[in-house]
Amino acid sequence: MGMTRRDLLRATAAGAVVAGTASFPGRLFAAKQKTVKIGMNIPMTGDYAPWGLPGLYGCQIIADDLNAAGGVEIGGENYMIEMVAFDHAYDTEKAVQGYKKLVLQDDVKMVMMLGGSTVASVLPWAQRKKMLTTTLLPSDITPDSEYLIATCESHPLYNVTGVEWLAENYPEAKTAAIVTNNDAEYGLQSAATYKAAFEVAGIDVIDVNLHGFDITDFAPIVSSVLAKNPDIFCMATSFYVTPLMEQLYHQGFKGKIISCTLDYYDEIIAKTSKEFVNGTIFQFPDFDDPALNQEGINFPNPGDFDAKFRKDHPNDWSAVAWEYPAILLNWLEGAKAAGTVEPTEVLKSLKSSDPVFIFGEGQWWGSQLWGLDNAAVGRWPVVVVEDGKARIREYRSVSGWLDKNKDVLIKHMKELGLRTV
Amino acid sequence: MELILQSIINGLIQGGLYALFAVGLVMIFGVMGVVNFAHGELVMAGAYTIWYLHAQQGLGYLPTVVVAVVLVTLIGLLMERFLFRPTRNDPLAGLICSIGMLFILQVIATLIGGEGPSKQVPPVFQGTLVVFDFLRIPNQRIFALVISVAALVTLWYFLARTKLGWALRAVALDREASALQGININRISMIAIGVGAGMAGLAGALMAPLTNINPHMGHNVIITAFIVTIVGGVGSLSGAVLAAILYALFHTFMTVYFGGTIATISGLLLMVLVLIIKPTGIMGVRISE
Repeated sequence: MGMTRRDLLRATAAGAVVAGTASFPGRLFAAKQKTVKIGMNIPMTGDYAPWGLPGLYGCQIIADDLNAAGGVEIGGENYMIEMVAFDHAYDTEKAVQGYKKLVLQDDVKMVMMLGGSTVASVLPWAQRKKMLTTTLLPSDITPDSEYLIATCESHPLYNVTGVEWLAENYPEAKTAAIVTNNDAEYGLQSAATYKAAFEVAGIDVIDVNLHGFDITDFAPIVSSVLAKNPDIFCMATSFYVTPLMEQLYHQGFKGKIISCTLDYYDEIIAKTSKEFVNGTIFQFPDFDDPALNQEGINFPNPGDFDAKFRKDHPNDWSAVAWEYPAILLNWLEGAKAAGTVEPTEVLKSLKSSDPVFIFGEGQWWGSQLWGLDNAAVGRWPVVVVEDGKARIREYRSVSGWLDKNKDVLIKHMKELGLRTV
Repeated sequence: MELILQSIINGLIQGGLYALFAVGLVMIFGVMGVVNFAHGELVMAGAYTIWYLHAQQGLGYLPTVVVAVVLVTLIGLLMERFLFRPTRNDPLAGLICSIGMLFILQVIATLIGGEGPSKQVPPVFQGTLVVFDFLRIPNQRIFALVISVAALVTLWYFLARTKLGWALRAVALDREASALQGININRISMIAIGVGAGMAGLAGALMAPLTNINPHMGHNVIITAFIVTIVGGVGSLSGAVLAAILYALFHTFMTVYFGGTIATISGLLLMVLVLIIKPTGIMGVRISE
């Protein structure tokens, strides 16, 4: 005999109960499992994408690791981390749009940003909403930007460590020429810092060569600078390091080269030679560097992180690949200490003690320059290319240098028309 | 003196590349009356072809240069057939179409190469030629200069010594009169954009090992091309070549002696000055109504 309508209803009801029972423990677990969203309002397309996209990849690795380990416990509750990114393409209007979307629609608990004009455009809104926001450019900090912090990169203050190391190890180098972009956000800030660092180190800056973003041929710039016979060629920003290095190579430069960053240095070696690039000093390590396994480094398993990143994104490693993840880890420390994910409480927690700075020995700093101690500065690595591979040669104290020489820095910032308090 | 000689060499090499892409822009404008805003992206397409096929896939550099020229020529032909021909009687529509094409090519480049760092192509001709112990010229740049000059001479021969070249120049002078003489305007338009795009593709292929390659590199190219076109005289091919060399030397010397920022500003000022003092450009001619 076939199934009656009553049999069908009974079977359906039984099935529903079984299905419900089967998923019950999961749903019970899900009720306890919460998700905290962390926003990234960064350039993922356009010229600035190399300073945004690798950071998202890096954060995703950290978030996936934490989630795979069961999430993180904050205030007695278990949280999964979800990264929510918005591509503002380094456009201020899009940055505001993205910021509002992340805060209002996605309910993120922190917004990570690159810095510069895009941060300036969201600052009033961040203040009103009391939203914890981070930047890689502490020069974005103003006396009123209470909710804006720079917990990892203190661009370009760390450059002083490279100059200090160079001066000690190559005392015969007495003159330097600085080449950089002419923008106030990256280039001039960096030029002012290098000028101050060279002055403190007793090195004469014989040329500061500024150029725009429309340069396609760097041969004239390098010819012009080399005609002045500097002992040191200094590249203060990283947009055009590769063509500059290529020209230095072809035009036969024999002196020391120091650069803020040396992203994609393997490509530079391919365009020049390993011997030429060897000895170049810069500030951003690879994360498979053994020196990152030392005591006091606040980044878990840097070597594993480096390997995972390069496996999934073999051509995308840049300085920001580990900087945004380091900020995410800072936030986690703050949230755990605060026992909540609420932005104001996390900020209060972070600021209540010395920062857990990625390279160790951090302190809150900035009021002398920008009016608020919202930038974490600490020791920073001096990286040198050796046998075609970037290696940390030493860690040096940025805060120690600033304590002694901030007036020199302020003088050079004012000379270049940069904002200081 | 050493710096001056080095700067002249640098300027001439850059001038050759400027001329390659500027003559294409002038030719397309002259024959078709279209201001092709996507011309910089045609240069970018040539550079991307080198990056993808040569640097990534391992195809030889010289065959890839040929592929780049052919590919960009095809893009140009498609633009003529499907964008510019249907909008021939509406210059504004043609201009808007070229802007649309600009974005399409940028997106295609992004899809192929992804976002992230600029692409780099290692030099094929390694090493540096050193003359008199102080003049240093990278071999890759010498190659770029030689090929640029050869391409420009070939173009000159084509325009000055062949019937097709005469027809092309005739259409540039007066399209209606040329049509009345039996010249096939559609065919000449396709040749103009094919040659112009091919030159842009060649410029991109030669620039690839010398510059940062990214989907937005066409911006700087188109600005330079416009300056060169206006200074040389809109519609004048020989003016474009002369202006390319003069502008490259001017920009190089300004960069060397006054810095890159001043060089950029002064380049634009030069264009404004030419527009005020001699609106027809160095070699342009005023056509009476």
